[in-house]
Order: sequence, then C-alpha cells, then structure tokens
Amino acid sequence: MTQQSRLRRMGWLAVLSLCTVCYLALHLKVHAVQSEVVRSERQIIALENRRMLLETEFETRASQEQLASWNRLDFGYAAPAAGQFVENERQLAKFGTPRGPGAPAPILVAAVTSGEKAPSFANFVSPLGKPVDERLLEPDAAHHDVAERTGATISIPLAAAIGNVRE
Amino acid sequence: MNALTFNAGFAPSRIRLVDIRRRQLLTAQLRMLLLGAGFLFCALLALLRIAWLGVVQPAPAEHSMAQALLPPRGEITDRNGVPLARAFPAYALWYNPDALGDGGSPLVKSPAEVAARLHAVFPDLDVAETTRFLAAGKAGYIRRRVLPEEVNAVNAIGELALETPAEEDRQYPQGRLAAHVLGYVADDGHGRVGMESYLDNRLLDPSERGKPVPLSIDVRVQGALEDELRSGMEAVNAIGAAGIVLDVDSGEVLALASLPEFDPNRIDTQGAKNMFNRATNEVYELGSTFKPITVAAAMDAGVVTDLSKRYPATPLHVDGFTIHDDENLGPTLNVPETLIHSSNIVSAQIADQLGGKRFKRVLEDLGMNERPYIELPARGFPIWHKGDWPRLRTMTVGFGHGIAVTPLHLAAAYSALVNGGIWRPATLLKVKPGDEARGRRVFTEATSARMKQLLRMVAVYGTGRKANAPGFRVGGKTGSAEKAAAGGYDRSQVVATFASAFPMDKPRYVVVVMLDSPQKVAASSYQRTAAWNAVPIVGRLIPRIGPLLGVMPDDNRDIDLSDLKPLVGDGGGNE
Repeated sequence: MTQQSRLRRMGWLAVLSLCTVCYLALHLKVHAVQSEVVRSERQIIALENRRMLLETEFETRASQEQLASWNRLDFGYAAPAAGQFVENERQLAKFGTPRGPGAPAPILVAAVTSGEKAPSFANFVSPLGKPVDERLLEPDAAHHDVAERTGATISIPLAAAIGNVRE
Repeated sequence: MNALTFNAGFAPSRIRLVDIRRRQLLTAQLRMLLLGAGFLFCALLALLRIAWLGVVQPAPAEHSMAQALLPPRGEITDRNGVPLARAFPAYALWYNPDALGDGGSPLVKSPAEVAARLHAVFPDLDVAETTRFLAAGKAGYIRRRVLPEEVNAVNAIGELALETPAEEDRQYPQGRLAAHVLGYVADDGHGRVGMESYLDNRLLDPSERGKPVPLSIDVRVQGALEDELRSGMEAVNAIGAAGIVLDVDSGEVLALASLPEFDPNRIDTQGAKNMFNRATNEVYELGSTFKPITVAAAMDAGVVTDLSKRYPATPLHVDGFTIHDDENLGPTLNVPETLIHSSNIVSAQIADQLGGKRFKRVLEDLGMNERPYIELPARGFPIWHKGDWPRLRTMTVGFGHGIAVTPLHLAAAYSALVNGGIWRPATLLKVKPGDEARGRRVFTEATSARMKQLLRMVAVYGTGRKANAPGFRVGGKTGSAEKAAAGGYDRSQVVATFASAFPMDKPRYVVVVMLDSPQKVAASSYQRTAAWNAVPIVGRLIPRIGPLLGVMPDDNRDIDLSDLKPLVGDGGGNE
C-alpha cells in the first residue's frame, strides 16, 4: 500500500465518519423537532378541549332561559317600543323643532380656509417695540410652517387675534 | 565454519519470522471472518425484526391532530352559529370493585365514608343510595357526567375502585330550549326524537362531522317563544302549548316549541313523557283559524267577489244538524264582519257555495291531506276524509271542524295566505338566500293582498286586538275549538289557537300559538277562548322577536284598510 493510497483511504474514512456524525446530528435534531411538534399538537388538542369546555360552560350559564330569568328578576328590561327606533333621515328630522316667533337666528359658524380669500396675517408688534417672534413677521412663511407642522389647512382665528394685539 | 555457523544461526530466526507472519495472517483472517459473521448476524437480526414488524406486530396507530380534534359527533348550531348540541371529551365516574385485584374489600375506606367524600364533591349525590351501591360491590356508573375539576377531586379521595374513564359527552348548552327540535342522543350513540335523529348519519360521518350543521332556528327567538309560551300556559293552567315562528318567504322555522318539554341533557321518565311534539305530531281541530282559508279559497274561485255582500246569520239546519254561532251576531254579516266576529254560520255558507271539491283541492294544495313537511321524525297524519265530502262536512270544515291538522300545517297555510299565495314546505335546516324551495301557488296575489287586509282587521277591530303590538302591524285569526271527546265535543275543554303574521304591510313571519285546554282563571278574565289566552302571548312575543328578526316597530306605517273600514261600521267584536 503506497503512502498516497493510505492517505486517500484515511481521507475517505474521515469523510465517511464526518457524514455519519452529521447524519446522526441531523437525525437527532429531526427527532427532537418531531417530538416537539407532537408535544405542541397535544397541547393544542388539550387547549382546544379546554376551550370547548369553557365555551360550553359559558353558553350554559348564559342560556336563553337563564338570561330571561335574570331579566325578569334583576333587570326588568322590556322590548323596545316604536318610539325608540329611528329608521331614516325623515324620522330623524321629525325630532327637530321649527324656530319659534322672535327666536334669535341660529348661529352659523363659518371657517375660511387659506385657499380662499383669507386675509393675510397682520404683523405682530410687541408693546416694547420689538418683534417677539421672527416667524410671525413673515406671515406666509409662518403660515406654511404651521400648515406643514399640523398637516392641515389653517383657518382665520390666528390672524384676527394678531390684529387685535396690534391695536 | 564461520559461514556455517552464521547460516545455522540465521535460519531458525527466519523460520520463526515466517511462522509468526502466518499465524498473524491466520488471526487476521479469523477476525475478518468473525467480523463478517457479526455483520451477517446483525443483518439477519434486522431482517427478522422487519419480518416481525411486518407480520406479527400491528402498525402503530396514527394520531394526527386533525383526527384528535374531529368531534365524535358533529355539532348542531342555530342559524347564527350558536351551538345547540355539541360533543366534547368528558369523564364519567365508574365504580370498579375489582380494581384492587386482591379479592378483598373493593374499597380501602368504608363505603359510608367514601360516599360522604363523594357527596362533598357532588352535593346533589344521594349519600344513602351511594353507600348502598358501593357496599353491594357491583360495577356500575355512579355518575355519567363529571367535570375535570371533579375528576381531580375524586382522584384525591384515593380509592382505586373509583375510576374516571374518559367518555364522549353530548351537551346541550341551552338546556331544555328547543328540546323537541334537537332531540337527544341515546346510550347507543344514535340520535332520537328530533334533528339528532334526522341528521344521525350526517353527524356521525367522519368526512362531514367536522363541520357544524346550522339549523334554521334562531336561539333568541326560540328563547322568547318558549318564555312567553310557558308563562302564558302556566297563567291559564293549560295542559300543553305549542308555538311556531315561520319565515313566510323561505319556509324556514325560526322557532318551534312544544310544552311541556324535556331536558335532553338528562333523560328521565318524566322527560320521556314529554317527548311528544304538539307542534308537528299532534293533530287538532283548529276551529275558526280555518275561516280565512275558506274565505281565500272562495275569493280565488270567484264565489266571493263582493266583500260587502251580506249573508244571513241565523242558525243553519243541515242534515239534521244545527250550525250556530256562540252569540247572536245580528241578522246578516258581510265577509269582513264574518272574520272579525268569527261567524260559523256565514263561513259554512261560503264553504257550501264554494263546494266540497274545490275546497278540498285548496286544502290539498296546502298540504293538509298529508303529514307536515318538516325534517323531524315526529309528524302527525291529519284527520282527513278521502273521497267526496258530503255537504255537511264541507260546511264544518269551513269553520275548522271535521278536519284535524297539526299547528305546523296551519302555519304553512297562513304563510301561503300572506306571502302572495305560494305554499312552501317548512324546513328546520338553514336555507341560503336564493335556495328557497320553489313551492306551489295556492292563492292569487290579489286574494293574498285582500287576506292581509282582512287578517289585519281582525287584530285591529276583532278578537285579535290583544296581539296588536304597537308598531308591528300584526294580523291574525283566533280559533277556539272544543276538544273532541267520546260521543261528541267536550264543552269544557278547548284548543285555543291564534295564527298571525307580521308586519301585515309586507308579511315576513307567521306566528302560530296554540294552548291545549286552557282554564277559566282570573288571568284570562274567566274566559276560555283564544282572545283571552293565546292572543296576549303573541302580543307579548312579537315586540320581543320583531327587532331581532329585522322588523322594526313603526307607528307611521300600516296596511291600507280604508276601503274595508266602512264595511265593519264601528268595528268592535266579540272576544
């Protein structure tokens, strides 16, 4: 037997034993996973049975007969009458009352969005003669900034408030 | 010499070397042989093992999760998926006197002590009886249904003879509710009485039992029906009651009750007595509730064309019999008045004009000559006379005597009266929208529209006023028929029925309530007729079930009665 062939044989043996070891490890792993699956399945079955038991118990304790007797003894709820149902807008509108004679006009609240003819922001001037907030001096920039931050259109009250301050 | 000596010295060692080499070769061969034999032995063992596994040993049972979760018997649910009957793994308490196996006393403690310990776990256990049972030393069930917590408590007693085998249990969470619809499962594992019996194969089929079977029953409606029926029945001391809520467009039974009922969770002798289903199995002469059918058949046949036509209301003498009304209703009556005041005399005349042949065919079209169409095994055969009807029979059937049908027959007929004239078989299985039975036309649309008006008038002006729940547009007809007894009728025993439908402007449900032998009591103002006992039940029931079934009360909506109103004057009828 030459040195080379002996080496080759030892190499094969090493490969074979490596494969065997790997196979054994894999085999053990598969078995471990399988038994875990079986255990989980058993757990699922047990939980499912338990769930069914609890659900059935719940259904039994809350049976129609029991609910009716509770209602009779404890709650005394009655079936709703026609007046308790509103089926459509017309019925809903029936609940509104017309304005009586001499009643004040209803207050209508309107908001002007920036896209429409919104008045520009008035300059904010401090009583000390010094601007308080630089951003407020540039209404457009401030406006955009606020709009960006809130992610919404801005409505008028801010400008009105500023106008008051200047006076 | 030297050479010789050398030769002589060398040769033996060489020979020894050869010898060693041969011996080692031999050893190696022997070892190889042993190794080969070892391998062969192992292979042989493996082969033998395979043969053993294949031939002798049974295959290991496959336990898949799907199989373990498959119920042993399918679940039954209501139309909304609420479980009505289900199987779940449970335990029983079994007494096994041979468990200790030493031939001595089966119990470690005394029977009385064990019975006392068991009584602590099951408070309703009869201690004396259990003590006797344990002392007798015979195997048997102590309890058929034990909860897991109770199993632990029983095991804690420490008696080997008390075994808790796992058993499949059929549980009816709603208890006695819908007992006649569901039936029960007997000890042999097969269903009895109700849908348990009808669906037995389907519920046991391994390929189908994983999926619950939805019934047409709505458990809330069933609960309300049984609740009202029971309180109504007890209030007037009736011996029994039946109630049906039927969908007029699909034939689905939303609720079906027969009282007194039994408990499918616990079948005892008392329960076995109550298994008889009054709603589908017992036939009654349902009396005046037949009058609308007579009138509708006459309208369809062109016999009644003018509702204002007045008929004489004086007692009729036919073939030696006298047909009379309970009270004098005046000299003449028109058709709406006939129904409102429930006149036997005029109904008999209308039936007479219609003729036995045509009337009989209409009743046959309504299925009154055969058992009711329903899945339940308990279906009563009507008392139905074949062949040509003599004149007197035609006239008595005109007001609901001389023919006996089940309340379910009546419910199906009323749904044909109000749904536009189509009769459909009733079903207890949930029907998918669009899959309704085709049915057959019995009445025309026009007749059905008129009948809706007339039935509504009975509830507004006549005997059905106590059922006129505000906003629900109820219509219906009462019937109080004396019960047949030996040699005629028993005047003291009546069957009080109210057949109704709601909402009358577009009928969706028929409600039939029947009381068997109600008594004259204070609750019914010392009256025995349906107006005082069956009608108020419907009046209380409809507001409870209407919103559940999608019928909202509405005071601004009603069927138009303006063309018939002048015909009945100020209304008002006898009650």
